[in-house]
This record gives sequence, structure tokens and C-alpha cells, in this order.
Amino acid sequence: MPVKWILHWQPNPGTTVSTQTLTEVCQCVESIHGSKDGRWKATLTYYKPMLRDPSVPTEFPRDFLGIALQEQPGKYYFIIRSHRIILEAESSIQIIMEKLQSYKSRVSLNYEGFQYQLGDFQLRIGKAAPAHSESLRGILMEVEYLPISSLEKSKRILEDFVDILQETITKKTLPGHFIPIEPNFGEYGLADRYTSQHTAIQYAAAMAHLIASGRN
Amino acid sequence: MECVVQGIIETQNSDLVSIGVDDYRGISYIGVLGSKSTISYLGFLCLGALLHVEYGAQGENFEKHVEALEVLLQGLSGVPKERLRVHELCVKSGPNLGKNLRTLVSWTVRHVGAPMKGTGAEQIAVLVRPMVESKVSNNVLRFFYALGYKLDHEVLKVGFAFHFQRVAKITVTVTSLNKIPKLHAIDEAVPVTPGLQLVEVTAPTAADNYVEVVAAISSFCEHLAPLLHLSKPGVATGLVPTAAAAADSLMSNGSGKAM
Repeated sequence: MPVKWILHWQPNPGTTVSTQTLTEVCQCVESIHGSKDGRWKATLTYYKPMLRDPSVPTEFPRDFLGIALQEQPGKYYFIIRSHRIILEAESSIQIIMEKLQSYKSRVSLNYEGFQYQLGDFQLRIGKAAPAHSESLRGILMEVEYLPISSLEKSKRILEDFVDILQETITKKTLPGHFIPIEPNFGEYGLADRYTSQHTAIQYAAAMAHLIASGRN
Repeated sequence: MECVVQGIIETQNSDLVSIGVDDYRGISYIGVLGSKSTISYLGFLCLGALLHVEYGAQGENFEKHVEALEVLLQGLSGVPKERLRVHELCVKSGPNLGKNLRTLVSWTVRHVGAPMKGTGAEQIAVLVRPMVESKVSNNVLRFFYALGYKLDHEVLKVGFAFHFQRVAKITVTVTSLNKIPKLHAIDEAVPVTPGLQLVEVTAPTAADNYVEVVAAISSFCEHLAPLLHLSKPGVATGLVPTAAAAADSLMSNGSGKAM
């Protein structure tokens, strides 16, 4: 499948991310002739263990994350970042996890927004917001280069494309810029050929960044 | 309480892990192993119906009966058998995690629920129980270890299967269960019950049509009656008096022709 880079919005020091910024980023893409062609959504859920006796110290992963991607509607991805594990499963795995009653959903976050077509590139720009809430917590952009599925081979062209986007954003003097998420896919046992597991790992890294920036 | 997960991590036939039969066998053979017996489950997503028999005989008779059953099944299905060779691992949760449940994991994760209860369930001839499954990537065991599950035991199941489309997709499996003396050493597997094969008839169904599927399974099993009687798991059937003669007859015809 086509290679995809995910970038998260880094607000300038002293500024906060806002809906206005998101609107202006979308306008930047439209100004370089990106045509809107639909909506997109991804849902991330953090899980916590269901301990029978919470007072007993028990070791469990604190970064156990589940991800549903629009590009793979029948699939679900579990990531344990501390163990560098990604599990790809049919979406019914969520029902099984519920029945196991070992871990339950702690918090869910939606990434959603608009999709743009720009020649061989497909862009998705959207906001991060808690499920059942409209409050914006972050901005994320997916840049997909449709002709190539090798991360290595597409690196240069994606870098160049992202540079053009950043320039456009800089010209508009928006209060921040996009930073590519560059996880080490090899640590998860993934190869150069791009898959939806790569996408899930990038989302997990974006989520970690969002949480870290919220703490700061 | 403990949480148990079972898994198939290896199979010589990749189609095998996608069929809804191993979960039932997973539950029924536990009795043979003598490890865990009753489990409580929640929820209904999809239902399956099950009949089985522990098909035992001595020496040559045993071999002949299994061969005769294969001939009979091949005659009924008209296609060759599917060979089964499944390595299953059972893992359970850490001491402080989750509740008492049992699930099958393989390339497919399966959750098998408690049998249907009540007067209606008692009156039907087969066991009906909920099942949810999800195909997963092959690092699933490592994933469950990371969540705090531990390896409980592993087994190797060897045998064959036939599939029939009769109202529902009916699967008949004939398997022997083997224990694995050393970790993952499936080449050293030894039979748990030599001279005993488990014959199971299963079919997937939905909550609203299980009565039809139960009837289809019961009707199908009449074809096997000369060789064996099938019953709900846990109910002893004993050997069929006509089995030896029926086996002789089937083997002398030696057919495999579609009936």
C-alpha cells in the first residue's frame, strides 16, 4: 500500500492549538490546489487492566493502545509501545477483549477531518478530540504518496513535498509547524514495505506526543 | 479466579484455523486432559452447534473403524479429507488480572461461551454455545505475554476433517490429542489417550436459526449411525453394536464414491 507520513502540529511557544489554526492549515492546502474529496477518521483507545484487587501491586503495560483506522475498516490494531508490539486483528477482537474482562477502555480519542487530493499525493488534515467531545486537543496531517510503497524509496519525495507544505504554512504566519513522526518501524519487526501496521504505529506515536505535550 | 487463553500457533493447513471447529474441540478435550472443567462465559454473538463422540476401540478394530469412518465421510462429501495438525497453546492470566474465562487463540483468537441452558437447550440433541473469533497476526502469543498472560499448557491435535453444506456448513473432525513433553517440542508429542479418537460434528449458526441447524446436524448424524452414535459432549455413548459389521462392509466396498 502507498507510503504515508503522519505529522503532528507543534504550536509555537506561548501559543495553543485552536480550530482557527486547523481552518487555516486547510486553506493552505487548498491554496496549493488540494481538492477536498471526503472525510476521514481514526479512533485511538487506551486500555487499562481490570485488577481484582487494585491494592496488590501488579505489573502490566501502561501504554496499551487500540487503534481503528478508516483505511482498514475490518481490522483493529493493538500496540504496546513499551514492548514494541503491534498486533493486527479482525475488529471482532474488541468483543473478545471485552469478554476476557482483563483490560477495559480507559479513554478514547478521535482523529478526524478532511481528505484532499493533490496529484499523486493524498492529504488528510484533522483534529484530535476526545470521543463524545468537540474540544480540540491537537492537529494531525497524513501525507500519502500513492505511487510508492517503499519507505526508503519515497523518503526524498515526501521530504520535498512536506517542505513545500511547510513553506506555505510559514508564509501564512501560522502559530506553529508540522513535525513528522518518525518511529523506528524496525523495532516492531516491520519491513520497508508500507502496511497499515506502519500507520497504526505512527498514530500511537502521535498520541504519545499529544499526551506528552499536554503534560508540559 | 483465572483467565485462560488457548491457541493454535501452527498448522500444516492454513484453512484450518479459519474454521469454527477447533474452539469446540478445545473445550471438550479439556475433560480428557483433566486440567480445567467448567468455565463461565458472557454474551452471545454467534452460535455454534456441536455433537461429539469419543470413538474408541481396541487394536486393529480401532484402526479399521477410523478408516471406515473416513470412507463413509468421503463418500458423503465427495471430496478428499482435509488433514489436521494443530499445535495449540493455552495461556492464563496473571494472578491479579481479569476473570474466569477461557478463550482460544491462534492465528485466530476465539472466544467460546457457555453452552445454552434451560429447558429448551436440554431438549435439543446438540450443544449450542456462543463463539466470537478474530484472525490475528502471528505475534499474538507475545502480545498476550506482554499483557500478563502465562503459558499454561500446549497440545498437538492430529487428524482429519470433512466439510458438508447441509443447511449450514457442517464440519466433521476426527482427531487424537497429543501432549507435548517439552516446551514447543511438537515432534516429541505423545498421545494423551492412545486408541481414542474424538469425532466432532459442528456447524456455525445464528441466534435466530439454531433450531434449523440443530435439525440439520441431527439429520446428518443419522448417516454415521451404523458406525457411531454421537451425543452432546459429556454424555457417554458407548460403541455401536453394528460398528464392526458396518466397518467391514465399508472397507470391502472400499469406495469413497459420493453417496
